[in-house]
Amino acid sequence: MNFLKKILAESGKLFQEGKPLSFAYPLWEATDTILFSTDSQNKSGPHIRDNMDIKRTMFFVVIALIPCYLFGAYNIGYLYSAAMGVSSSVMNDFIIGMTYVLPILIITFIAGAICEISFAMIRKHEINEGFLVSCALIPLTMPPDVPLWQVFMGTSFGIIIGKEIFGGVGTNVFNPALTARAFMYFAFPTKISGDKVWAVGPDGYSGATALAIPANPVEYDTASNLFAASTQFDYSLMNMFWGLIPGSIGETNKLLILLGAIFLIYCGIASWRIMVSCVLGLVFTSVLFNLLSYLTVDGILQSGGTPNAMLTITPLQHILIGSFLFGTVFMATEPVTSSHTNTGRWIYGFLIGVLTVIIRSINPAYPEGVFLAILIMNMFAPLIDYYVIQSNIKMRLNRNV
Amino acid sequence: MLKIKVKKGHNINIAGVASSEILAPQKNTTVSLSPENFRYIKPKLLVKEGDSVKLGDPIFFDKLNPEIKWPAIASGKISKIIYGERRAIKEIIFNIDSDIENDSPNIDEKKLSNKEDVVNYLLEKNMWPFVTQRPFNKVANPSDNPKSIIVSLANTAPLSVDYNFTLASNKDSIVSALINLKKLTEGKLFVAVRPGEFKYLSDLDFIDMVEVEGPHPAGNVGVIINHISPITSKDTVWTVQGHHLPILGKLFSDGIFDPTMIINLSGPVVNNPSYFKSRIGASLESHCKGNLSTDKVRVISGDVLTGKESMMNGYLGFYHSSISVIEESFDRSFIGWLHPGGASKYSVFNAYLGGNKSPYSFTTLQNGSHRAFVPIEAWEKVFPMDIYINALARSIEANDFEEMEQLGIYECDEEDVALCSFVCPSKTDVGAIIRKGLDTVYFDK
Repeated sequence: MNFLKKILAESGKLFQEGKPLSFAYPLWEATDTILFSTDSQNKSGPHIRDNMDIKRTMFFVVIALIPCYLFGAYNIGYLYSAAMGVSSSVMNDFIIGMTYVLPILIITFIAGAICEISFAMIRKHEINEGFLVSCALIPLTMPPDVPLWQVFMGTSFGIIIGKEIFGGVGTNVFNPALTARAFMYFAFPTKISGDKVWAVGPDGYSGATALAIPANPVEYDTASNLFAASTQFDYSLMNMFWGLIPGSIGETNKLLILLGAIFLIYCGIASWRIMVSCVLGLVFTSVLFNLLSYLTVDGILQSGGTPNAMLTITPLQHILIGSFLFGTVFMATEPVTSSHTNTGRWIYGFLIGVLTVIIRSINPAYPEGVFLAILIMNMFAPLIDYYVIQSNIKMRLNRNV
Repeated sequence: MLKIKVKKGHNINIAGVASSEILAPQKNTTVSLSPENFRYIKPKLLVKEGDSVKLGDPIFFDKLNPEIKWPAIASGKISKIIYGERRAIKEIIFNIDSDIENDSPNIDEKKLSNKEDVVNYLLEKNMWPFVTQRPFNKVANPSDNPKSIIVSLANTAPLSVDYNFTLASNKDSIVSALINLKKLTEGKLFVAVRPGEFKYLSDLDFIDMVEVEGPHPAGNVGVIINHISPITSKDTVWTVQGHHLPILGKLFSDGIFDPTMIINLSGPVVNNPSYFKSRIGASLESHCKGNLSTDKVRVISGDVLTGKESMMNGYLGFYHSSISVIEESFDRSFIGWLHPGGASKYSVFNAYLGGNKSPYSFTTLQNGSHRAFVPIEAWEKVFPMDIYINALARSIEANDFEEMEQLGIYECDEEDVALCSFVCPSKTDVGAIIRKGLDTVYFDK
């Protein structure tokens, strides 16, 4: 260990200001501090510091994501075997899945690292461990059969446009992982539109996603009945909770997502306020729409339009369908792009829930609404904070009178 | 009685808390008065090296406010005046001549009836610098009319002195000091105590008792002001350090300046952390020598959160009442960010298994590299004021005067945000940002 420490210390001299390799200092700093914890000293101010740092914070988010990866890989293999009509062991399914997940993961990290490191060198800022989280999130939002060059493009776009052009971690407006997801959604719609299932199987294998079923019913019925009538996949509440359904790699198993949420809240890393208010917003709006659907069926609002089966999706179904929970737990809570005030966090989360249902139900062109809802609210988060802070300012002014 | 119950905050479980015994420091013949302990002054010396002075004689005055003079904190010779860059006076070192010091002092008890009397008396005795003000945490301006006066006897900072213990025998002088401090303001005189302490003060009808409960920074003057008497750009609140009350009390009742006080020496590397009968500006070495378990130490005048790093041969700051010593560590553990936890880690986050239980031996390690700020509600956990500290820090970095004032820069001080820097995973120095903001608005006025 001492030998390694010495090599690092000696090589570090080459990266100092004025030395030939000074442009690559952030890269050396990152390597150095990943291997050995830093010996930076508290200068003035507090002479002692907490042991928590950004490395560990970000690493913890990655830990929370690992179960989603493992289950995602298994699920790909499981659905593949089912589609091929063969029975297969859990291990075999897992390995089949990994052959899809690993390449995506590796390409994402290569693309992310190239962008982050080159910007750190040009802008002369430290390599922020936040990019690890972005890169760990992106594959989980991808269909398993996505072309790898698209993953590379999407990741680069997400990291550069979503983060680096705004000045890097801490000053970005949009969640980089979701920016990547949105870019791919609109740039390569044939692969990632979301109304056809994302499962790998024989050529031409396809099917309707849970959200696409009530969006395009052959004949009007309530969402629950439509789900029950679906024969290709089991869209029962229980099965959607356990996640043996097609979808993005990481979104399907709700139990693992909830465990991740509990872990992050317990460690004090993710905001429980955002998670709770997202769910509240979703429940509020879907209940409202459920009530509305009764009116339409009774013919009161029926004049001219056809009844919309999406309005009949119950709150619980909304929570379990698609990537709502995944987005709520891992994307909406991204600290930099969400609201920075506690009151703001409640409003921000609630509106994400509301927008998710609106986008899903009112506008069937986009079956999955969560990532759009979060990106829209990312945009409004500073505005929400502005008004929250204005009320604090007003309170202070009133005190002065 | 007013009650403040603070929830946000954290009592750092640091090893080396002083035991309740009072020792005498090793004999030391020098003390120091440093003009650098006082903000925003331009000191002009009234003495030169080699002059003989008596306790309380004027040593220097503030060119910006010539009526405020600083007292000699010992009788004897001025052995050395140390200058810094551009001939700024860094330190004035006195050689204590115990023969003169133990002379019976002149007793000239005065009847002080109003603010003017008290102010003049303190100015005449060169004792005004004991009175400080918020905002800015600087020596008060005698011509101001403070909105109120706040004295905090509830020390919550880690390893700070326990006033209930150190001031136990000073009842008379504390009462005498408070009687006269009350005359300085038309507003209220607030005295903050922890529940059940200083019970005799509640019999005094001229003071308003404030009972503070909760973790640090509950006992900070800034936090108390924010809860009971928030200030604006026009207001000032005056304050006096708790350990200076007996000194002021003796000055009012007996007319003598007695610079002795009880301080503590504590910290994880102190062999026998305890209290000392010491004095203002005492030499640090005379307390630490032979009492430290290692040589690689950082000696801090003040507490570990807000104190000033000093050399071993340095001196106690004018307003400080404790010496803290921590190990200067350069340890680099292999893949430290993966560490599972245990007794070697301390965090306010639940990020380590089984941490925080036994008193923790903090070192000077920053425990992580500096990174861009990521707002994961860390600061808010330990900042108990109705101020959006994150937004305030942003407005300071953006140099937005108006917004700084609107967001309450006047109510904050470095010491109130010290815990924010302690917990910040990005290792941001929040105190330095707040000080920068205070400096900006101060010089803009």
